Amino acid sequence: MNIKACTTLVVAAGLLAGLPGCTDVTTEPQSTATPATVFDDPSSYKSFIARVYGGLQITGQQGPAGLPDIQGIDEGFSHYLRQFWQLQELPTDEAVIGWGDLGLPEIVTQRWGSDNQFLSAMYYRVFFQVMMANEFLRETTDSKLAGRSVSTSLRNDIRQYRAEARYLRALSYWHGIDLFGNIPLVTEEIPLGKTPPQQSTRQAVYEFVVSELTAIRPELPAVGAGQYGRADQGAVNMLLAKVYLNAAVYTGTARWSEARAALDLVVNSGAYQLDDDYDHLFLADNHTSPEIIFAVPFDGVRTQTHGGMTFLQHAAVGGNMTAADYGLDGGWWGLRIRPEAYGRYDLANDDRTSFFYSSGHSVAIDNLSDFFDGVAAPKFRNVTSGGSPGSSSYFPDTDFPMFRLADAYLMYAEAVLRGGGGSRPQALGYVNAIRARAYGDAGGNIADAQLTLQFILDERGRELLWEGHRRTDLIRYDRFTDNGVWTFKGGLPAGSTTASHLDLYPIPATEMQSNPNLSQNPGYAQN
Amino acid sequence: MSLGRTIFLTLAAALLGAAGLSAQDPTGTVSGRVVEGATQEPVAGAAVSVAARNAVSGADGRFSITGVPAGTHTVQATRIGYGQATQQVTVTAGGTSTVTLTVGSQALLLEGVVAIGYGERQVRDVTGSVQGVSAEDFNTGRVVSAEQLIQGKVAGVQISDNGEPGGTTNIRIRGGTSLTASSEPLFVIDGVPIAAGGGLSSGRNPLNFLNPDDIERVTVLKDASSTAIYGSRGANGVIIIETRTGSTGPQFTYGTSFSTSRIVREPDLLSAAEFRAAVQQYAPERANLLGQANTDWRGAVQRNGSGQEHELAVAGSGGDMNYRLSLGWLGQEGVIQGSETERVSAALSYNHRLFSDALNVRASLRGARTDDQFTPGGVIGAANALDPTQPIQTDDGFFEWTNNNLAPNNPVAELGLAQETGTTYRSIGSLETRYRLPFVEGLSATGRLGFDVAKAERRNFYPTTQRSQLESRVACEREAGDPLCPTGTLNRQNPSQVTSLLDAFLTYSRRLDGLDSDLEATAGYSYEATDRDSTWFQARGLSSDILGPNGIPSAALTQSVVDVRDSRLASFFGRLNYTLADRYLLTLSVRRDASSRFGPNHQWGTFPSAALAWRLSDEAALDRYDWLSDLKVRASWGVSGNQFFNDYQWISSYRYGDDLTQVQFGDEFVTTIRPSAVDPDIKWEETTSWNFGVDYGLWDNRISGAVEYYVKNTDDLIFTVPVSAGTNLSNFVTTNIGSMRNQGVELSINSRVLNGTRGGLTWDANFNAAYNRNRLLSLNEFGGGERVSWGGISGGVGNTIQVLQPGQPVYSFLVYRHKRGADGKPVNGDTNGNGTIELKELYENVNGDTLVNVDDRTPFENPAPDWILAHTSQFGFRSFDLSFALRAHLGNYVYNNVASNQGYYGALRGSAGLLNLHSSVLEYGFQGDQFFSDVYVEDASFLRMDNLTLGYTFSGVRGVDNARLFGTVQNVFTLTGYSGVDPEAGLGGIDNNIYPRSRTFTAGISLGF
Repeated sequence: MNIKACTTLVVAAGLLAGLPGCTDVTTEPQSTATPATVFDDPSSYKSFIARVYGGLQITGQQGPAGLPDIQGIDEGFSHYLRQFWQLQELPTDEAVIGWGDLGLPEIVTQRWGSDNQFLSAMYYRVFFQVMMANEFLRETTDSKLAGRSVSTSLRNDIRQYRAEARYLRALSYWHGIDLFGNIPLVTEEIPLGKTPPQQSTRQAVYEFVVSELTAIRPELPAVGAGQYGRADQGAVNMLLAKVYLNAAVYTGTARWSEARAALDLVVNSGAYQLDDDYDHLFLADNHTSPEIIFAVPFDGVRTQTHGGMTFLQHAAVGGNMTAADYGLDGGWWGLRIRPEAYGRYDLANDDRTSFFYSSGHSVAIDNLSDFFDGVAAPKFRNVTSGGSPGSSSYFPDTDFPMFRLADAYLMYAEAVLRGGGGSRPQALGYVNAIRARAYGDAGGNIADAQLTLQFILDERGRELLWEGHRRTDLIRYDRFTDNGVWTFKGGLPAGSTTASHLDLYPIPATEMQSNPNLSQNPGYAQN
Repeated sequence: MSLGRTIFLTLAAALLGAAGLSAQDPTGTVSGRVVEGATQEPVAGAAVSVAARNAVSGADGRFSITGVPAGTHTVQATRIGYGQATQQVTVTAGGTSTVTLTVGSQALLLEGVVAIGYGERQVRDVTGSVQGVSAEDFNTGRVVSAEQLIQGKVAGVQISDNGEPGGTTNIRIRGGTSLTASSEPLFVIDGVPIAAGGGLSSGRNPLNFLNPDDIERVTVLKDASSTAIYGSRGANGVIIIETRTGSTGPQFTYGTSFSTSRIVREPDLLSAAEFRAAVQQYAPERANLLGQANTDWRGAVQRNGSGQEHELAVAGSGGDMNYRLSLGWLGQEGVIQGSETERVSAALSYNHRLFSDALNVRASLRGARTDDQFTPGGVIGAANALDPTQPIQTDDGFFEWTNNNLAPNNPVAELGLAQETGTTYRSIGSLETRYRLPFVEGLSATGRLGFDVAKAERRNFYPTTQRSQLESRVACEREAGDPLCPTGTLNRQNPSQVTSLLDAFLTYSRRLDGLDSDLEATAGYSYEATDRDSTWFQARGLSSDILGPNGIPSAALTQSVVDVRDSRLASFFGRLNYTLADRYLLTLSVRRDASSRFGPNHQWGTFPSAALAWRLSDEAALDRYDWLSDLKVRASWGVSGNQFFNDYQWISSYRYGDDLTQVQFGDEFVTTIRPSAVDPDIKWEETTSWNFGVDYGLWDNRISGAVEYYVKNTDDLIFTVPVSAGTNLSNFVTTNIGSMRNQGVELSINSRVLNGTRGGLTWDANFNAAYNRNRLLSLNEFGGGERVSWGGISGGVGNTIQVLQPGQPVYSFLVYRHKRGADGKPVNGDTNGNGTIELKELYENVNGDTLVNVDDRTPFENPAPDWILAHTSQFGFRSFDLSFALRAHLGNYVYNNVASNQGYYGALRGSAGLLNLHSSVLEYGFQGDQFFSDVYVEDASFLRMDNLTLGYTFSGVRGVDNARLFGTVQNVFTLTGYSGVDPEAGLGGIDNNIYPRSRTFTAGISLGF
């Protein structure tokens, strides 16, 4: 009721007596949609599932920052991929970053505690994805759709969207158990509210991920048949293979043959080929690469963030480099390659080192914050294979290749070597295909005798440098903490081994405080 | 008579002019003198009123009031510094009745009557903690907005302005009560509540539209028994502003003043020579980047800010009416180039009495246009950061760090190119009719219609030639391979806000002789509707700069936002004042509010209060203590609320993503929607407060004052808290969690030290002191030591320095305890000689585990002062007057962010070119950044002379009733141990390139004729 009507009523009534109509104060949002109205527009389903994908790409509803998804941290820092990348790469033998942001040097040196903003950002990103997917599933049940007179064709689309929501939820749950171990398992069956969820076990979440991926596979397009940027059966098989390959870490029980079987479906599909040009995988037009199985797309105009590729590319540029060569407006003077990873390459012959920038840099790192300590390795570039800059000098067009065929080849070889069945000659062929691309000829090919687990770990380091796999790989090989020494590991320049409980990150302190059902991971203080 | 007819008649009367309507009533005249009791000297400037007609006594103490209805009335005279006098007078039709009113000289008692919301009350009968400040006691000098008038005048009220002309002022009454909602008090201007933070231009003061010269009186309601009548908006206290009206005349007044301001303290940065030496020693490989100049970058962006003000008012009264019309103009330059504010204001107030005074109509209308210019963001920081060895201009134009987009840009170039301006129109008005109902003695009805309309425009323009725009390029129409376009940005924001108000209430006032009691009751209804509408657009990649901020030739990228929000508030309220035997006082009040900010199940809140007071000095047993002229003890309890937070927190909404956050599906980019995380059961935040007070007056009130003790517990804090993962759609949800306590004591002493009897020198002195202690009691339902980060700083990205943690004061600094060496200096270096400086060498291991890492930061001190002390002295000697005001804060801490961000040699090797260092580096010698060291959390206690004014009043100038010439110095001196630019660095306690505080000299004259 508006004020004029109220005035009239008050006047008519004389004074105070009986004003029930003037006590209605409810107002509802007009510039945003409400749950009651949003699905009146049939395009909302697509917009919603796009947002679930968007959880990997953007940080809020305004680009590059604004209306953030999660709070308690700088929005640019809160980016899913940025944190996932940092937690997977910075504590390993592949990368250091020179910045002094609170808690960041501790990630680089494996000295973190539970009150670390980067750990909590990753934890909450995982659950943001889970909760978005759950909400999508709750809003698209058959009964809800029936009440909204949804057309048959849209209903078919929504069926696929639901499978994609479950895929994205499984992907994040995998990240969750890989990084944090025992985390709550919250599905769409659990309504929104205030009740803190129970802690689940790593094993239970692992089993949930496996069963979900198995269940949704038939609902998704065939391997390689999905739209770019969306999940198809190739992405499902790849994720299943990742989960199986690390099953021994998560559950104590190895699943090598299951991993190998899932990889068969990827490598034998014929849907993907190794890109002729290794560099193309990391350029502004990498969406045209035939090698990518599942990408997280970015765009200089349409998909902007201060995290993601904006971070990954700017942070790798600085010093004497000319930023424009990388399609950028400038560098952030952050990332360098650790001497141990640098030393793995056959620098004279391996083309995968072509992007290293060493002018003015030392290989050794004496001072973490000095950008010139350690070779720069700007692997991703905001320039197309034709040499044109991306559509923005600040927000790269380059997409992040989360899963690609070379990774599948190396995983296949590892599964075979670990006793997962399959063909050893096939494995050797896959590895040599990667080597031949790197060397430009057969000069780098290896013989069967050289095909060892250690070689595969090293080759993964060379082929997949800075692509967000290293921490998981090192833990699977038991080289992350109490084995293996690299520069500044543990905090001193010479490096040292560290305590094995660091194989898991702690449950963030904020979460320990707000959910009394949780037990902290072993080795960390309970609060 | 219905209220409708009342309103109709009111409007008709206002339109037609009421002389004719009232001429038929028989009236007479009251005239006489006001004299001082002891000396029988005439008292000039006393306010005399009878039958709602007013006059002011002249230099000879004489006054005359015509048009008084025939009958018996009470004449009342009041004057600041004197007691109040009342006398009965009988007026006959056409006759003149003469009275002499004798007022006693007494201490600076704050006025005889205070506003209490929906009414007013004699100070002697007040049961809560209420303090009024009237125009005579206002601060003078360069004052842009109204709250600066009472800075230092009222115990327990902290008023902190940011030094920028027209900039934000923060007020805390007895400490903040909220975290997510606002902790600012409610302003009520002539009965119209003004929403906290109601300014439409962010960073601007919402009261900028109000000409301080129009204000008659400011009343501060501090305890919950006083503020509960404002229910859901009373938790942070209420400031009631009443504007002037005409009393005699017609009289014209004109006032003008001229001021100049200059910066008093600057950050302590290295000189060019010191900087050269530092680079050569600590970053010799970058010495080639040094320049040859010796530049004072700060001097290049500063200036002496001049200002002037003019006010013209005409006030008068006729038989049944009085009026006041005022015009004001103010222009002030800031001490940093580019900042300036200009205001044109007009106000009209009109009172009319009809039907033998049964009906009183008051119309008030005021409006202002404020034009602001802003110093472009980053100028102050850049002036502090740029290398002093570089010239402002080179042969190629302005000096800039090329090929480095992380370096700050040349602030002189920014000032010349960027344009940031704003214009705000705001008007508030009210029409109040009070009707004394026939048949029932003492019953009257009041209706008030009010409005508050504001419309603003903020314009920013950054040409393509500006360095920041050249560095940040956007895609534009181009051939393949062409470089991207420099940005070039234009944006405009057009917020508007319309509030409509309806108040209707009955007041019943009666003396119950048989019970020796007085009864006063008020009951009413109020409805308030606010509609906000904001549009914003931005164009980037401008193809040309020549249209400036006024046009867009073509743009590569445009964005726009429309946001509409409506809120409603409906209320019923009632209050009962009961006085027994003129000395036992009881006040009960209750308000029920319904707010649209809460869901349908939680819209209504009830806010009760009760207060008792006992005027001990009126007890016969105390009569023998002659020296005790006044003694009253008070106790009150009340619940008030807070709803100053965003609309629609109770209802989940799907928010659309913009064009820049689309998600790629194949070749298509899909606009996203995101559901928000809400708590549908969010409800009122409630502050329960207890207040105990004693009002005293000694030796005929030559010394008077009050002592207060209070406890304020805020429960169901509306707070955006971390929620456990897996419960809601985000990791933070705004809900009712946690509680907080403020408790403190206040003391005030007002004294007339010299009363003019010897040599004519008068001296009034006022002293007040307030102590407040704040504790956050809990933050979630599980207890524990949950920490929420707060207080962003410069240095790194997203770093924060403060924390909300149960058991600690809010916004405590969260820092490492830096180890001190034998020399007392913070440790700096590789003490164990292992080749690297580790955290464990620098900082204490607080949590006792094996590592020193971020978990070892602990809460340490906080920005709120423990004590606020203030003193004002006013001297009068013949025609001269002199006053000064001192203010001290004790126990407030400030984080010196300029020192921490520029105070380590490692910054010389950083990414952003060569940037100047803070001088603290010479003392501490830090190599790496120490952003989180307690070294930078400094005790910022201070003593400041806020104001020194000397005035001279002319007499005997022909054609001029009064004339006063005055000179004022503001911010005369500051004594502090704090090393940064201002120990009063806002309420936040983070000194990060803040707008510098200035010393202002003002000279002015006021004339009445």
